[in-house]
Amino acid sequence: MYTKILVALDGSKGAQKALAAAVELGRTFGAELHSLAVEGKLPAYAASIGEVDEAKAEKDAFFERIDREAVAYAAEHGVELHPVKMVGDPADRVVHYAEEGGFDLQVLAARGHSLAHRFHLTGTADKILDHSPCSTLLVR
Amino acid sequence: MTELWIAVGIALVALLASMISVEFGVSIAIVEIVLGVVAANFFGLHTAPWVDFIAAFGSIVLTFLAGAEVDVDLLKSEFKGSLLVGGVSFLVPFAAAVLFAYYVAGWSWRASEICGIALSTTSLAVVYAVLVETGLNQRRIGKLLMSATFVTDFGTALALSLLFVKPTTWVILFVAVSALLIWLLPKISPWFFGRYGDRVIEPEIKLVFFLLFLLMALGKLSASHAVLPAFLLGLAASRLYAAHDLERQRLRVVAFAFLTPVFFIRSGMNVSLAALGANLGLLAALFGVKLVAKMGSVLPLARGFVGKDSIFFTLLMSTGLTFGTISSLYGYQAGIIDKAQFSLLVTVVVASAVIPTVIAQRWFTPKAQADEEGDD
Repeated sequence: MYTKILVALDGSKGAQKALAAAVELGRTFGAELHSLAVEGKLPAYAASIGEVDEAKAEKDAFFERIDREAVAYAAEHGVELHPVKMVGDPADRVVHYAEEGGFDLQVLAARGHSLAHRFHLTGTADKILDHSPCSTLLVR
Repeated sequence: MTELWIAVGIALVALLASMISVEFGVSIAIVEIVLGVVAANFFGLHTAPWVDFIAAFGSIVLTFLAGAEVDVDLLKSEFKGSLLVGGVSFLVPFAAAVLFAYYVAGWSWRASEICGIALSTTSLAVVYAVLVETGLNQRRIGKLLMSATFVTDFGTALALSLLFVKPTTWVILFVAVSALLIWLLPKISPWFFGRYGDRVIEPEIKLVFFLLFLLMALGKLSASHAVLPAFLLGLAASRLYAAHDLERQRLRVVAFAFLTPVFFIRSGMNVSLAALGANLGLLAALFGVKLVAKMGSVLPLARGFVGKDSIFFTLLMSTGLTFGTISSLYGYQAGIIDKAQFSLLVTVVVASAVIPTVIAQRWFTPKAQADEEGDD
């Protein structure tokens, strides 16, 4: 039924559930599985380059760890995961990547990992659903 | 309120600001300024001489860091374009804001000069964040923007140091010592870092603090400001810090954990909401002067350098934050501008960090993927 699945990762518990669901679907359907981690915005209106550089370095390290853990988790369950990391607006990046990559299912978490991110990701999920180029599974 | 309770209040504001900054992804500086406004206007938090002193030192450390963050090779590679765009981006808004404040708003000449300096700035960090986020820092438009911003920053530091100087013998000593330190620091630092570096007691940071305090003391004696030599000292050390990133990071930790929060919170505490409310028309007019002067001067040049991305380029050159706040606080602490004028300038500076950035990102961001002629 599904041949190419995209799961969005952000390090939250919700995203771990989304990854578990995507891995299960990938194994069931023998689908190609990709993950996309969008680093999101850097501190807006910063007062020094150092603040921006260090925020970027923290995000890089955080998302590299997420990718490594996701690849390991998928491998434990017998699925090969192809991770991709991007910078920018999460909703825009997920929609465009799903469209350009010819995915037929995308798997998202309903909630992110902090108070602000919860609001943000709810908005993100809404935006992705509004513009989704393929079927979308929202995991709660 | 005792001094200790003032310290408790400022520490609480700094803590809350850092938590809000992390949760909402907004720069710590703006949150600190806004919470400083709230703390002073609604909770009665007020300043003390030691707060003013640390705030002044925080501004000098920020200036040193701004100089140390200059990419000298990038500046050289875009030298002619950046000199032209960055120079015009400083001079025209400076002149426009001085003339507006003096002839229209009726400010004193010296207060008008502070207004000109505060509103002529471009925020390197605001520009840099947008460029990194969009990937444009790897393209020619990003490199030109960064290097032009270095030049505008230099113009601001130059004006702040020169315009208010009093011609005394102290000035000669100030200039001579500044020049000596700027020449000497890159020469002795490799030895000093090699001999004393990588220790928890941080002799390198103590060396920088000693030099900056010395510049501040000599600047005060000559009725000038240490912002220019501090910026140039940072610039002289920029290659060294590029090679010793851990040292730069440790200096940032010291600065951002204690010194710059006091500077930005103190700046916010000076803002009077009542004064802003009574001068909303002037507030809008000053913001308009900055934006129109930047658009009128930078846009025609930007068309020649970056073509269809010129509006994006110009909007980012219209941003301001750190140097605008430093100039305003210097003017206020030196008695050149009053509280109402300070409130107006800092509010315009903060607005100029946000509004042009939002417009540029929302409607004018160039496509990062495009490979245009002349791009790397």
